[in-house]
Amino acid sequence: MKGRTWQAIVALVVICSLTSTPFGVAADQCRTCHEALGDKPSTLFKRDIHSQKGVSCADCHGGVASAEDMERAMDKSKGFIGVPKGDAVSEVCAKCHGDAKRMAQFRSMIPIGQFKALQASVHGRLSTTGKERIVQCTTCHNAHGIVQVADPASPVYPLNVVKTCTKCHADAAFMQKYNPSLSVDQLEKYRTSVHGMRNAKGDPKTAECASCHGSHEILPSADVRSRVYPTNLPGTCAHCHADASYMKTYGIPTDQFEKFSKSVHGVALLEKHDLGAPACNKCHGNHGATPPGVESISKVCGSCHALNADLFSSSPHKKAFDERKLPECETCHGKHEIIAATDKLLGNSQEAVCSRCHSERERAKGYQVAGTMRSLIDSLELLERKAQLLVSDAEQKGMEISEARFKLRDVRQARLEARTKVHSFNEGQFREVVAKGFATALVVGEEGQQAIDEYYFRRLGLGVATLIITIVAISLYMFIRRIERSAVHKQTSI
Amino acid sequence: MSSILKKTYEWIDKRVQLETLVEFMGKKYVPVHRHSIWYYFGGVSLFLFIIQVVTGILLLLYYKGSEQLAFESIQFIMSKVQFGWLIRSIHSWAANLFILSAFIHMFSVFFERSYREPREITWITGMFMLFLGMGFGFSGYLLPWNELAFFATKVGTDIAGVLPFVGKPIMVFLRGGDEVTGATLSRFFGFHVAVLPGIFTVLLSIHLVLVQRQGMSEPMGMENVPASERKTMPFFPNFLLRDLLFWLIVLNVLAILAVFFPWELGKKADAFASAPAGIRPEWYFMFMFQTLKFIPAKVLFIDGEVLGVLLFGAAGLLWMIVPFWDRKSSRGEKSRLINYVGLFVVVYIIIFTTLGYVL
Repeated sequence: MKGRTWQAIVALVVICSLTSTPFGVAADQCRTCHEALGDKPSTLFKRDIHSQKGVSCADCHGGVASAEDMERAMDKSKGFIGVPKGDAVSEVCAKCHGDAKRMAQFRSMIPIGQFKALQASVHGRLSTTGKERIVQCTTCHNAHGIVQVADPASPVYPLNVVKTCTKCHADAAFMQKYNPSLSVDQLEKYRTSVHGMRNAKGDPKTAECASCHGSHEILPSADVRSRVYPTNLPGTCAHCHADASYMKTYGIPTDQFEKFSKSVHGVALLEKHDLGAPACNKCHGNHGATPPGVESISKVCGSCHALNADLFSSSPHKKAFDERKLPECETCHGKHEIIAATDKLLGNSQEAVCSRCHSERERAKGYQVAGTMRSLIDSLELLERKAQLLVSDAEQKGMEISEARFKLRDVRQARLEARTKVHSFNEGQFREVVAKGFATALVVGEEGQQAIDEYYFRRLGLGVATLIITIVAISLYMFIRRIERSAVHKQTSI
Repeated sequence: MSSILKKTYEWIDKRVQLETLVEFMGKKYVPVHRHSIWYYFGGVSLFLFIIQVVTGILLLLYYKGSEQLAFESIQFIMSKVQFGWLIRSIHSWAANLFILSAFIHMFSVFFERSYREPREITWITGMFMLFLGMGFGFSGYLLPWNELAFFATKVGTDIAGVLPFVGKPIMVFLRGGDEVTGATLSRFFGFHVAVLPGIFTVLLSIHLVLVQRQGMSEPMGMENVPASERKTMPFFPNFLLRDLLFWLIVLNVLAILAVFFPWELGKKADAFASAPAGIRPEWYFMFMFQTLKFIPAKVLFIDGEVLGVLLFGAAGLLWMIVPFWDRKSSRGEKSRLINYVGLFVVVYIIIFTTLGYVL
């Protein structure tokens, strides 16, 4: 083993001396020797963008590139560092990539903040050794043979990114060390998505990992600054999907984001920052993003609106919709533009969605049931409003009526429950819930009215009591006057 | 009917010698002069106190003095108990009118110098009763366990806590711990319905006995008026009936206030909620509260709040022992200083109370 090392050193010295110029000065002696040896780094470096831009081996590894003598060339006192290890790798890259002046010398348009972004990203956290960060520049870009991102040979070229990321992210043993709860099947799911399938077919425009998660600045999805944080996600998707010229070749609409922003879900998520509201991924999936099929819409919506979905699935509408291939929830409520459902959707008036399929002549039973349901829920709302007015009036009059106010919640609850029960399309079930609301609303109204009556009774009682007290007081006054007068009379008569 | 009454009277007379009392009452006269009107405020205060006792006992039938049930029990009294709303409202209004009437009574006694010899004990018992009355107000304010009362008690007991050396132990004693909790409610309830009424009854008895024994104080200089020119009225029945007339008027006012301005209950106290805006003590503590707000955080080397509390303590003490340092009045000489001091205190209280509500 020792003999072989010596042989290699002797060979290198011989090659170096043979290839040196008579004047003893060479442009890059490192490459001269290493290329002659035919080692992998020097071979790869030939097509490296850095090589093309004039970056020498010594620019990264240190030492004296012009020195013919190997010992002088790799003299540590002259800054030779050999193969950088750990964080030193990224620091070597950042020497130029973090320096605007140097990058300007190469006429590069690459942003200079990547190193800092990487450090602040989830990949910039310390590795299990505790000595270095998890990811270095070379982890994704390789060390030698680096080409431009737009070059199909680059590991970060859109068609290659997925493979590069999954080197770690599909490795369960590796990922377990850092985030055991994070799934490692993203690639599998991605390949089932429209994005993944197109990407596999060679379309570099479709979304890959970096399109949604970013590149150097990737943050955990729970981080509010992350591009895939629920409130940021619609904007991330819209980056491509709302760009008409970018999406032109795909022939799909680009107004989803606009519609979603105005929808009940969009307003809740984007304006009220309600994280319970769905972002794009809740319906379409994350890595396996795809439009939900007609048959699975109620399941997708039902993941949140479980009761409605269950009722719908066991209703007569399920079969009818399936036969006509009508998307379940979407047919009545719409998709991206879903607005808050009101009672107006129900009934047999023109604006009601029921009347789109039911009329007095066609499917008349549904027409009739829809009309009854609407009139019942309208009556309940009216009763609730009446009870509410009575309670407010009593409260304004200073009456203690908090119990009735509390019961009003039950009426509202019954109305909400009735709205859910609409999805059973069963008049009997619907009536049962509404009747509960009617009964409570009547009790509340009665209590409100009683409180108002009590208020007037109190005033009347006060009037009577005040009158009696005043009469007693006047009588007392008269009596005092009388006894005092008679006392004076007695005194004077004495 | 009259023979039954006569027999009953005779039966009692035989045992407790009522005749002596009737004779005493019959010979008792009340001076009549241009300041006689102020005599009635003592009676009005007594009347309001009696109302407090009666309505308080009625409330006690339903009130539950615990953190979990206090608020709900008042809610129950207000909405379910027959005339519960009226009793609670009257209790709250009468409490305030009692303090007002006691203040008027106290100031009238002060300006008339009625505290002078030999009525020093009457004055001191009266002052103690006024302080107890404020204690009643402070402890009773927390009992509904609503948001405003909870935080006002917090602030109030915090102020007690700033006193040097004894402040912290007093605060912990009042609160039943470091914070205002259910324990504070329990002990405030105990103070309100047992401790304070017990002490108050003793003081009231002494006060009334002394008033009866010593009679009404005459304004200064009356002793120089010849006996023939001095006007009086028999205590029984004339003065007592007039007293009764005043009580009827007060009762009417009370009924109107209770019906037209029912005492609100507010929101249930929540120790974890942030303090609501506009926490104020009851109006009779307002002048002190406002003064403490005006005093800078540090006055020389003393903490502003500590200085304020100590000053009020000293002023209260001086005020209470006025019969002992105002020797001039006891000698029958006129003292302008007393007038100036009294006027200053009245104006001060009015201005600072107003500022407390305006600012």
